Amino acid sequence: MELAWLIPAMSAIAFPAILLPGRLLPRGGAFLAPLAILGGFIVFWIVLADFLATGNAGFGITWLEAGAVRLSWGIFIDPLAVIMLGVVTFVAMLIQVYSWAYMANEPRFSWYFAVHSLFAAAMLTLVLADNLLFLYIAWELVGLCSYLLIGFYFERRSAAEAAKKAFVTTRIGDVGMLIGILLLFRATGTFDISTLIHLAQTGGIAGGALTAGMLLIFAGAAGKSAQFPFHVWLPDAMEGPTPVSALIHAATMVVAGVYLVARLFPAFEAAPAVMAVVAAIGLVTMLLGATLALVMTDLKRVLAYSTISHLGFMMLALGSFGLGAAIFHMFVHAFSKAMLFLSAGSVSHGTNELDIRKLGGLRRRMPATALCFTVGALALAGLPPLSGFFSKDELLAAVLQGRGGVFLAFTLLGAFLSALYMSRVTLLTFFGPLKREQEHAHESPLLMIGPMLILAVLAVVVGFLALPLVSGYGGFGHVLEPGGEPFHFKVWLVTLSSILAAAGLTLGWLIYSRGALSADAVRARFPAVQRVLESKYYVDVIYQWAIDHVVLVAGRFVALFDRVVVNDTGVNGAGASVVASGMRLRIHVTGLLANYALGIAVGAVAVAVVMWLMTTA
Amino acid sequence: MPGVNFNLLWPQLLVTALAFAVFGADLLMRRPQRALLVWISAAGLVGIFVFTLVYLWGRNTTLYDGIFHIDNFSLFFSAFFLVIAVVVVLSSAQYVRQYLTHPGEYYGILLFSIVGMMLMAAAGELLTAYVALELLSFSLYILASYARNEPKSNEAGIKYVLLGAFSSALLLYGISLIYGAVGATRFQDIALALRGMEGVNSLLVVGIALVLAGLGFKVAAVPFHMWAPDVYEGAPMPVTAYIAVGSKVAAFALLLRLFAEGFAPAIDQWRLLVAALAALTMTTGNLVALTQTNIKRLLAYSSIAHVGYLLMGLAALSPLASTGLMLYLVGYAVTNMLVFVCAIAFYNREGKDEISALSGLAGRSPFLAGAMAAALFSLAGLPFFAGFTVKFYLFSATAKAGLLWLAGIAITNSLISLYYYLMVIKQMYINPASQPTPLRLPWPMVALLSVLVLGVLFVGIYPRPVVDAIQAATQAIFPGGMLSTP
Repeated sequence: MELAWLIPAMSAIAFPAILLPGRLLPRGGAFLAPLAILGGFIVFWIVLADFLATGNAGFGITWLEAGAVRLSWGIFIDPLAVIMLGVVTFVAMLIQVYSWAYMANEPRFSWYFAVHSLFAAAMLTLVLADNLLFLYIAWELVGLCSYLLIGFYFERRSAAEAAKKAFVTTRIGDVGMLIGILLLFRATGTFDISTLIHLAQTGGIAGGALTAGMLLIFAGAAGKSAQFPFHVWLPDAMEGPTPVSALIHAATMVVAGVYLVARLFPAFEAAPAVMAVVAAIGLVTMLLGATLALVMTDLKRVLAYSTISHLGFMMLALGSFGLGAAIFHMFVHAFSKAMLFLSAGSVSHGTNELDIRKLGGLRRRMPATALCFTVGALALAGLPPLSGFFSKDELLAAVLQGRGGVFLAFTLLGAFLSALYMSRVTLLTFFGPLKREQEHAHESPLLMIGPMLILAVLAVVVGFLALPLVSGYGGFGHVLEPGGEPFHFKVWLVTLSSILAAAGLTLGWLIYSRGALSADAVRARFPAVQRVLESKYYVDVIYQWAIDHVVLVAGRFVALFDRVVVNDTGVNGAGASVVASGMRLRIHVTGLLANYALGIAVGAVAVAVVMWLMTTA
Repeated sequence: MPGVNFNLLWPQLLVTALAFAVFGADLLMRRPQRALLVWISAAGLVGIFVFTLVYLWGRNTTLYDGIFHIDNFSLFFSAFFLVIAVVVVLSSAQYVRQYLTHPGEYYGILLFSIVGMMLMAAAGELLTAYVALELLSFSLYILASYARNEPKSNEAGIKYVLLGAFSSALLLYGISLIYGAVGATRFQDIALALRGMEGVNSLLVVGIALVLAGLGFKVAAVPFHMWAPDVYEGAPMPVTAYIAVGSKVAAFALLLRLFAEGFAPAIDQWRLLVAALAALTMTTGNLVALTQTNIKRLLAYSSIAHVGYLLMGLAALSPLASTGLMLYLVGYAVTNMLVFVCAIAFYNREGKDEISALSGLAGRSPFLAGAMAAALFSLAGLPFFAGFTVKFYLFSATAKAGLLWLAGIAITNSLISLYYYLMVIKQMYINPASQPTPLRLPWPMVALLSVLVLGVLFVGIYPRPVVDAIQAATQAIFPGGMLSTP
């Protein structure tokens, strides 16, 4: 199992290897990226086999040591880490294969793959890290890669702006997270996750410090996982190449926040107030994302809001003490959502269009893409027996158990909306008559369809992993929480949620396919709702106002202070005086030998005199 | 002499033999064949390195009644010097071919200086240490003036030898005063005498002061540093690298053993002085470095600043500080090797050593610019590079020894140094190139640079194995952690 460090290491090496000597290789050495991640995927199976044989393991090497404080590069492997390793290496591998065809005509082809590799390395490190400092470093690195990839088309102003927005927004959470990590460090003297968890469970951390620390760490998690009020960056992040959206903004990086909460779960449990915040934020995010996904007209943005909504589901489950449910949903969602994004990429590859009002009937031209997308949509809508059905069910049960009826009602509403917007986007894009401007649409090459089909199969079947299929395997949740209850259906809940899913899908069908209900009529009936939704609850507007009228105004004062007091007087003044003293000092090196000898002689005498004075005094 | 195992000097004897072999081969070979000398020297050094590790591993004994110590400390430094020598020899190859005549003598003299360094780290007695030091110094005087047709090189050699002689006189006078005061020259006897001494002996104080001045010259501590920039600038580039790295590491090996084994009992009499020298040295080095325009002079002042940090470890003398100091030497050596080899590679191609000539290097050779940037980041002490880790250990050891103010000055100084290191990086990455032709490096240079970059990252990220080796070396000069620091 010691080999686990190789998984990120291979991708980490691929990054400089592509950028430096890679330029001498065919296609800029870009093929090193899929090779590295394929290696990672192979090593993952070795690690998995070891893990099944021996259980949790951790090892590391020391970086710095000063007294009791020890900073290390360490990795810790538990069921959670193994699951994430599998998901990240597998999805990243498929998406790199897909990208090979999708990005084929890009001038910065090898740069794309280099950053992809760096991202994979950082993400896998984040998954494995056994201490918060190491994790934080990886955390910032994935943020950097996300920034670089969102801004991949940096010639386009909107892409550059989106990259900046994503970076700055998540940074706000990250600063909180860093403060939280340092708070916990001050309270305990360690960054080690296992030790922190142990201390939290045994009451070794004062209640106030624990609550504050965990809350601040959750701020970082919320930023990365696009939770309200940080969610605004994710829809804009769709400016990046679509495979990037699939990997980073659906399957892996955005679930880092969920992962972090899961990693520190026992510590969060020890701070019930923070858990309530997690649940509430999750619920709000989930509803916000679901309602906005209903009105978006850009295919990728619908998927982005759907991702926000599902991330909200996961946080809600975590906040309801349902670790297994949350991680299982993350697992299922990773496959289906990555596949939906890849299908969207296939659509834009075949039509150069992502506005669903201009699309329609694409199944006639792109049958494989349409099939994949439909499967993914049905899975996420939670239709039995597709994967989303199982995960949603566990999730609902967890919410009911952990937070009670009111939360459950809202969660069911979210599940219904999920089915509705999924049927809307699928029907509008792939069904109905083919639009005239899409006559030339064509199916994507096999290199793109292949990964989509693999993910589609998984989106159908992985749900069954929830069940205790063979003896010795107690179901997915059981692997994560060996002491927890085994999986079982609550019949009334299953029935209710299935009916809701079917109702959502049917309603969508009635509106968008049959035209039995006119969406325009609904809109006309409730213009206020329409306005609020289309303005995305005014969150962006409020932020922009706040930036213009609060941040920038304050910023101008600070800038004035900075320019006059800090810069001119402080920095430049100090700098100038330092340089001036350097200038004055350098005069003493005259180049004349006699002066040097005099310097040495005077120095020696001075040393002797000072020493003599010091010792006799 | 009965019971003396002369075999323990095999490493030194082998390097001497290698030097003579190189001299002889130079005579017998035709001109084109002489390019082989670099490979003979390097291969021989690698062989001796392996032999030394295998043969002397775990020995802890003395030779000639305590004149030489064969222990983990001398083993560590012998191995260290041999590695430095290999890097210097390899980095010299192209330079020597392009700019110097008589390669055989160059490599031979280089090897003699290695013998001197190895003896310095092993010496347990003042006069032996002095002779070893002179063997090193004389080799360096010759090497500094090796570019005979360059007036600057000649000037460097003359300045170096005259001032070197002057400082040697100080050192010898100091030794004689110490002998007069305590009647011993072996480090351990000095320590014994100091422990039994009542009150303050002025003779001894002045003796220690003069020894400090003499050795201060060798490491270029302020105010004995003024030769350094001129010699660095004038000497052939690989020799500059060698003076900056090798001779300093050797001098600190001697200082460390001398102060730990000899002067430690009088620590209260010299600690503050060394601390003051450290503060003065690092501050002067950094401030003057701010105004330099020549890369060699910049690196000269930068290395003066680093000597200041190193002296801090001496002032804080304790097993912890000694470990920090040695680790700092490792980080300093590998980083400076990297930055100098970058400068050499550039000089071989362009024949320029002005900082402004580096403009636009990032576009012309991304690899060279990247390697140089890594070295400069490491010198400035940024995390993940060797410079950060070694500063962390050394500064925290200094703070622990009660010299918090000194650690504070050192951190401020690191901050200042970031400015001039970044100026070089700005030159390479932001300023446009005057002639944007790609700059190709020969493969041995690329290989050497890659190894050094990996070395800088290795010490920065995973210093544990080096720290372990150093702790063993520290134990050799602090038997049983004898010094309980206040």
